[in-house]
Order: sequence, then C-alpha cells, then structure tokens
Amino acid sequence: MTEISLKVENLRKTFGNTVAVDDVTFEVRRGEFFSLIGPSGCGKTTTLRCIAGLEKPDKGRIIIGERDVTNLPPQMRNVGLVFQEYAVFPHMTVYENMAFGLKIKKLPKDEIHNRVLRIAELLNLEEYLNVRAGRLAQALMQRVALARSIIVEPEILLLDEPLTLVDAKIKELMRRELRRYQKELGVTILHVTHDQLEAMMVSDRIGVMCQGKILQIGTPIEIYDKPNSIFVARFIGSPTMNLIEGRLEQYNDELFLDADDVGIPLYGVSSEKLRGYIGKDVVLGVRPEDIEILTQPTEGSFAGKITLIESLGSKLEIIVELNSVTLHVLSPLRRDLKVGQPIHLKIRPTKAHVFNKTTENNIMLEEV
Amino acid sequence: MGVASKVLRIVAIAIFMAWLMIPIVWTLSLSFKPYLEWRAPHFWPKNPTLLNYKILFFYQREIAGTTGGTALTKPMITPLINTLIVVGVSTIIAVIIGFFTAYGASRYNSPGPFGLYFTLLTRMVPPATFVTPVLIYYRMIGFLDTQLGLILLYAAATVTYSIWILKGFIDQIPREWEEAAILEGLSPLRAMLRVTLPLIKSALVVSGLFIFLMNYSEFLFALVLTTRNAVTLPVHLTTYVGGSGVLYGAQAACGIVASIIPLVIGYVIQRHLITGLTFGMVRA
Repeated sequence: MTEISLKVENLRKTFGNTVAVDDVTFEVRRGEFFSLIGPSGCGKTTTLRCIAGLEKPDKGRIIIGERDVTNLPPQMRNVGLVFQEYAVFPHMTVYENMAFGLKIKKLPKDEIHNRVLRIAELLNLEEYLNVRAGRLAQALMQRVALARSIIVEPEILLLDEPLTLVDAKIKELMRRELRRYQKELGVTILHVTHDQLEAMMVSDRIGVMCQGKILQIGTPIEIYDKPNSIFVARFIGSPTMNLIEGRLEQYNDELFLDADDVGIPLYGVSSEKLRGYIGKDVVLGVRPEDIEILTQPTEGSFAGKITLIESLGSKLEIIVELNSVTLHVLSPLRRDLKVGQPIHLKIRPTKAHVFNKTTENNIMLEEV
Repeated sequence: MGVASKVLRIVAIAIFMAWLMIPIVWTLSLSFKPYLEWRAPHFWPKNPTLLNYKILFFYQREIAGTTGGTALTKPMITPLINTLIVVGVSTIIAVIIGFFTAYGASRYNSPGPFGLYFTLLTRMVPPATFVTPVLIYYRMIGFLDTQLGLILLYAAATVTYSIWILKGFIDQIPREWEEAAILEGLSPLRAMLRVTLPLIKSALVVSGLFIFLMNYSEFLFALVLTTRNAVTLPVHLTTYVGGSGVLYGAQAACGIVASIIPLVIGYVIQRHLITGLTFGMVRA
C-alpha cells in the first residue's frame, strides 16, 4: 500500500453565507504531484489555506503524515507554501531568505550552510546567494520562494498558483523544472491552479473542483479521456469539447443523436449503459481532435459545411456547420479543404461521450 | 536647456530660498543684537553680543540692567528638559500604539460601527474645543501642570497620524510574507515583529519625526495645562516680556536654541526620510 502524505476528510469552509469549500475529501500519496484545478472562486485556494492552517475549517479533518493537524496552528504543521505573490523578503539576501526557516528551527550553523548550498545548487541559485531578493527578476524570486519552502523539508509542499505571474515563456521552462525538482527531491506536492494545461503537464493526479466540490479525481489521461461530467469535460482540454444537446435514438441497431434538424450517428458506440437512455434527452460530447474530416461519405459519417479554417501552424482548427449545430474540429495540416466546402464528418469510435442532461454526469461511466 | 530658462530656474529657486530662509536668518541675526538694536532697521548686528543667550540660561537678577532693567525671566533649562521628556515619550507611545492599531486594521477587519475612521474624529474637531473639558478633567484628577498629563494628551492627539501613515505602509506588505514565515515556524506575533516591522522601519521613523515636530511646537494645550512645573518651550518663549515690552533678542535666541534639536534629529535620520517620504516603496 502506498503511504499517504495528506488526507482531507469532509472539509467544509464558509465565509458568511458563501460556501467556499463543500465537503471535500481527497488524499495525496507520498511523493505524488497532485493538482487541484478549477475556475477562480471554486474553493481550491481556500482548501489549500485550510491545509496550511491559515484558514480554520468549519468542519472536517486534515491529516498530514500520521498526525491530525486540524486544530494545530500553521507553524506546527510542517507544510511549505509557495504563494502566487512571491513570498520572498526583499530586505534579505537570497541566502538569508533560504536560511530563514532553518534559523527559526534553530539548526546548527554549518548544517544551515550546507543545506542552503545544496538546495541552491539544485535550483541553480548559487550565483544569486548574496543578492538582495528584492532585486531579482520575477521568475528567480519564485525560485527563491520555492527554495525557501523545500529547504525546511516539509511533509507536503503546497503551491498556490505559483506560476501565474511568471512570463509565458519562462512559465513553460519552470513547469518542466518544477516537475524535475519534485522527482529529484521526492517531495509531495499539492498544487493549485486554474490553468488546466499546466496541471496536465506537471501532475501525477488531478482533482477538478467546481463550486466548492471535487467533481473528479484521476490521472491527467483519465480525466481527459473519461470526464465524469459536463463541467470536467468542458474545463479540461483546449480547444474545448464540442457539446451537442439532443435526443438519443436508435435506428437499425445503430445509435444516433437527434438534435432537431441534425442526426449525428454514434458509430461504433454500443455501450449497454446507453440502452436505457434511448428516447431521452442527452448531451453528446466530442473532443475536436476526435472528429475526422472526410471528403467521401462512409459508414457512420454525417454531412456538414466548413465555415472557417484557422491555421495553428502544425494543425488546423476548422469550424463546421450542420444546420443549427456548430462543431469545432482539430485536424492535422492538409491543403485540400476550403471554406464553404461540403464535407463529411465521422466521430472516432469510442471517443464519443454521452452525458445525462439533467444530472450532467457521463452515462458511460455510470455504475450499472 | 536654453540660457534663458536656466536663468529663470535659478531666479525661481533663489526667490523660494529667500522666502524660506529670510525669517530664519533674521531670527539668527536678532539673537545676537544688543537691546538697543532690537527695533533698529538694520539687518546685521552692529555690536554683536551673546547677552541674549546668557538670559536663556541664568536668572534675570544676575544680568539685571542689561535688558532694560525691569525684565524678570527664568532660565530655559527646565522647559527644555520638560519638552524633551514630554515630546519624546508621547511620540514613542503614539508610534507604538499607532503601529499595533494600524497592523490590526490592515490585517484584520476592524470591528464596530465606526471602524478606523473613528480615530480621525479627534482631528476633525478644532483642538480649542477640547481645552476646557480637558482642563476641568485634569484639575479633578490632578494632572494639571504635570509631565504625565501632557504626555497622555499629546500621545492621544497624535496617535491618529501614526495609525494612518503606518497603515499605508503595512497595507503594501503582502500578507503572504508573514504567512510564509508562520509556516516556517514563527508565531503570528513573531512573524509580525521579524518580517513586517523591519520592513517599515523607515515609516516608523518618519511618522515619529512628524509627530515629534507637531508635539514639539504645540502651544495651546501646553499654555492652558501648565503653569510652573511642566512648562514646555513654546510656552516658555512667551515669558520673555519685560517692563519695556517683549524681549525680542532673548526670544530669538531661545527660538534658535530650540530649533537645534529637530535639526539634529532630522540630520541623523535623513537616510530614513528618503525611503520613508517616498511612502512605501519598500519593495525596491
């Protein structure tokens, strides 16, 4: 069994009448990179601050390592926190910043010195050790903040949107570095971000939050391939998933979606779970890259017309109209397509998601 | 830049400097003039004398006859000591209380219907309004003509300034800096003292100087509330009056001596003034 670094049980936190965190439960395994993602205001930062002890939860338990820390003050919890705003003391040098936490813990001087040098080497901060932290560039400052947090060897490191304020170019580099440090040092990280791409890149597992609740927890691939609800499906992936409302119908053993003036065949989809929904209103979800563009009709294809082609360099983003329905399609680069051209579309087998229209849950993932 | 505009600039500066400096230089010159020249129209003393400064530090009887004969003055030593104690202690109290209040207001929601704006109330009413009630109170509790009485009053009257000056600075220091220190093992109180306090050192010095100067020149309350024991310099200045009128020379000398202290303080802390008066560029 894997060791658990952090366990959050039924966490609830309200501010006045607003419920920020609503019955959140999850676990982070030792050495894992876990990301909580969601739109701003979904309660992910509040969850993080509760774990750090900077907010007091109304209900629930927080267990770090073996200890129940729910009622412990932040300084007793052995967690590190890297903020969106660089929490680096500008009036101290990088060295002093890094040594700050160790001095509080009253470690011997040469032990402090050794640790600072070791972490500085790992994070490439050696040449800045005697520079005043206030003079550093943004990305460097955030690296110092990271160094400060990991040098005290916390049981779990919390990252609160650490890369939001960093320049786009450096951000990409820092994501990769963050991932590398995490694996090299074997730290457990709980990371909070609204950037789904960032979470997909760095995380071992992801928890998707919305309105104070965790909707789905899984590896990035699981969440991308098997979103359990419309919200998760829409939040993860860019360009976003196509969502078409309609009625599920059956014709000659094949299922199709009846969306008023359009019929979209669900070719190759034969899930037993869908049988119970025939004749009912559902939402069909298809990722833009899971739609194939054909020039000739084949089995399971349906007709449409190209209204816009945008080149993304190596790929094309194509907007196709089928009467009242508009679909986004992501296609490999090809030169035979023109705006206004009638074409045929086909959903790749097994790549169609069908959601219950009222509960918004993914029907294919429902327990029978 | 053209020659004309350069000249214009120098002229403008010269006028401004003259406007600022003439009263001070004139006071300085007056303080060295003998009795007969006090009312004379010339600027520089013709027979410079130190007599005026002597009046400040000796009882009048020893220098009788030199100031028109009938003046009865006391040395400025006691008022000077009074002033330093009263102003120094009240400034320190105002800054300390101001810091904690500003910190609380900046970091936590201030309770009550009035909030922090309530503290501005004491500055919205003319001070003269308070004179009579304070006088009656102080008579009742025996604070009249005591240093403690003035200290408490000065600290209460000026704490508003330190609250509002310091709050601006504290607001600019991200809460996360303290939270980071707390997570590294400091208690909230020690995080405040070790992270926030050093960062607003300049602001403490600036608000301290500001309050010091205000209290140093306070006249109204000192005049009403002190008679003999706790007299401060501004009140003492008015006592240089003889049978033949005001002792201008002695007053000028007293003013010069009195202004040395703020001058020295200002010089010592000028490093802080620059950062402090740019109002909180603490991150640079």
